[in-house]
Amino acid sequence: MNSVIDILKEIRPEFDFASSRDFLADGLLDSFDIVTLVAKLDRNYGISIHGTDIIPENFQTVPAIQTLLRKNGVKV
Amino acid sequence: MDPVHNFEDVMDAIQRAKAGATDFRTNFFPTQPKLESWVARRELWGIVRDGASFFFRKDRDFWHFYFCVGNLPVLQKEVALLSEMKYQRVVVDLIGSESANGEMDAALQSAGLRPYARLQRMSRAAWHEQSNVAPADFEIVHANKVDAPTILKLIECHFDRFSQQLPTLCDLESAAQKDQILSAKLGDKIGAVLFFETQGLASTIRFWLVDNNFRVRRLGSALMLAYFATHNQVRRFTLWVNCNNENAIQKYRHYGYASDGLVDQVLVSSMIST
Repeated sequence: MNSVIDILKEIRPEFDFASSRDFLADGLLDSFDIVTLVAKLDRNYGISIHGTDIIPENFQTVPAIQTLLRKNGVKV
Repeated sequence: MDPVHNFEDVMDAIQRAKAGATDFRTNFFPTQPKLESWVARRELWGIVRDGASFFFRKDRDFWHFYFCVGNLPVLQKEVALLSEMKYQRVVVDLIGSESANGEMDAALQSAGLRPYARLQRMSRAAWHEQSNVAPADFEIVHANKVDAPTILKLIECHFDRFSQQLPTLCDLESAAQKDQILSAKLGDKIGAVLFFETQGLASTIRFWLVDNNFRVRRLGSALMLAYFATHNQVRRFTLWVNCNNENAIQKYRHYGYASDGLVDQVLVSSMIST
């Protein structure tokens, strides 16, 4: 199973996600990337992220994404 | 169709389509600020069906159509039942990789929509070269809010309204106030325009054009180089271009852009001629 960072790197290999405090404000992810990310997270962790959870706050940082995963029953 | 009154209505409608979905599909990727501006301007309307939520956004004399469906058969069946597809001008954008779009494209064509255009996204990494100078007599400056009506006319003359997501006057006024429109000016005349959106380390060119009256003066080149020169911090540059516009694609390649695999397949209802 890939880590969140691995998945982010698959989507945008040119960016250093570790040095960003807000992936959206920093332009590392756009709205198309978020949809791709949700699909990859769903597939990778065998979950279905709730449509109401697809909001910017849940994708700003790795800890925010991990919180979202935990909410969906994933142990990270 | 019912008007959408707030952001939460949209999220609820998406969730209804997602609940119990076996193969969730969508072409709806708005950012929250964009969605809120559509709602505030009363441009967004919605329809909820069993296993599907549809949104229509008013744009000039036609509608953009967005869907969130539980699976492909639902998409095909429910879209075919929408009266708007028969009696309104409707445009659908399918954004994704070729392979991801294929099945949705087929389902929508089975429901009566027809291919209209195909756009590709092009990207490039950071730019570190030096800018050149503006052609004699012209100055490269940020457009002002008062320039917005002129710029809108230029954009509407040079680009296709159905496939190229043209801005509203309000969008252009807002962009001008945020210094997101570079222009080549000769006195009060605008010879060329480069409209961009920058978010942190990423920047997207929305429209780049040279007025027909001011061609062969290298205004477009001057604008592009000025754009790069003022975006030293940007790590990723992107844009969308019609796949049939080989002239534009060659120009973008000259500036280091290359296709990054994302495409926008544009389909239209029968009220729009192809």
